[in-house]
Amino acid sequence: MNFLTLILLAGAGTFLMRFLPLVTGSGLSQRPSRLTLMLSALGLTAITALIVLSLVGLWQPQQPVGSTLRLVAGSASVLVALRVSGHVGVATLMGAVVYGLTGL
Amino acid sequence: MTVSDDSASNLSHFLAGLRASASLAIGYVPMAFSFGVVALQANLAPWQAMAISIIVFAGAAQFILVSLLAAGTGGLTALTAVLLLNVRHVFYGPALAAQLARKPGRWSPLLAFGLTDEAFATAMSEATRRKLPPVWCVGVGLGAYGSWVLGTALGVMLGAGLGGDEGVIGQALGFVLPALFIALLGQAFQRALWPVIAVSAVLTGVSLLWLPGHVAMIIGMVGGALIRPWVELHREKLS
Repeated sequence: MNFLTLILLAGAGTFLMRFLPLVTGSGLSQRPSRLTLMLSALGLTAITALIVLSLVGLWQPQQPVGSTLRLVAGSASVLVALRVSGHVGVATLMGAVVYGLTGL
Repeated sequence: MTVSDDSASNLSHFLAGLRASASLAIGYVPMAFSFGVVALQANLAPWQAMAISIIVFAGAAQFILVSLLAAGTGGLTALTAVLLLNVRHVFYGPALAAQLARKPGRWSPLLAFGLTDEAFATAMSEATRRKLPPVWCVGVGLGAYGSWVLGTALGVMLGAGLGGDEGVIGQALGFVLPALFIALLGQAFQRALWPVIAVSAVLTGVSLLWLPGHVAMIIGMVGGALIRPWVELHREKLS
């Protein structure tokens, strides 16, 4: 399989996995149900799972205390900045800066 | 409503979606920049790195794809890995559709194209406050896409010397995505839903001990969402 074919198939497959469930699931907005409740929670649970995945990826087993403290400091600064500014972008930048500086 | 009123309203929702994607761009540009650098280090040509970002547009899956290609893995294996990693997106469409103010109709292809983890998280965070106009979601997705392609281009053009940067900037870039997700969760947080969040976090963390990340994520997502009706029932009993 050459490079371009691979990329086109990967792109088409990814698109269809986003497109087909969106189209077939559109009617759900009209029918409140147990299933709708579960689907509405998927956003929150996806964000939560992504946080766990990304933080675990940054944790360094050879420096357990130090890396845990950095992750806590970075995460806490995001929440404080979000509380103060109310802006997701500002909070994100603040967390990244604090995490970067505590690694010095 | 006349056709021109409808168009003006669509334009206004689209521009609001683009503005909302600015928070996403802060996370996307550095990550895509890293992707551009990693792709060059994996001996891909600049046009190949750009082609992946333009055609596939799937953050983590792109990194996996490049590392598999660099390791000499066959095309079919690499394709399977990308599709398996993206299978979680199957859950996003119905979840988002349930939060839309109306059916997406002709906007569906554009909306679906931009439905990445981060665009989905941004939309669902906004959906805690109101029903979403489909065109607003298209604005978020296209804004995210633009920043992803721009970040890749910058990485391909400027990043060759920064690949191994372990300084403040390199380390700060590594925390951009977790920080974005934490901020989105902070924005979408509702006290009554803490059990859903806790179950999702614990299931993801425990699954990670034995399973690859993309499988652990699906388990955490679905497991947390499954208890949502129970939380609602419990809340109704209390009130």
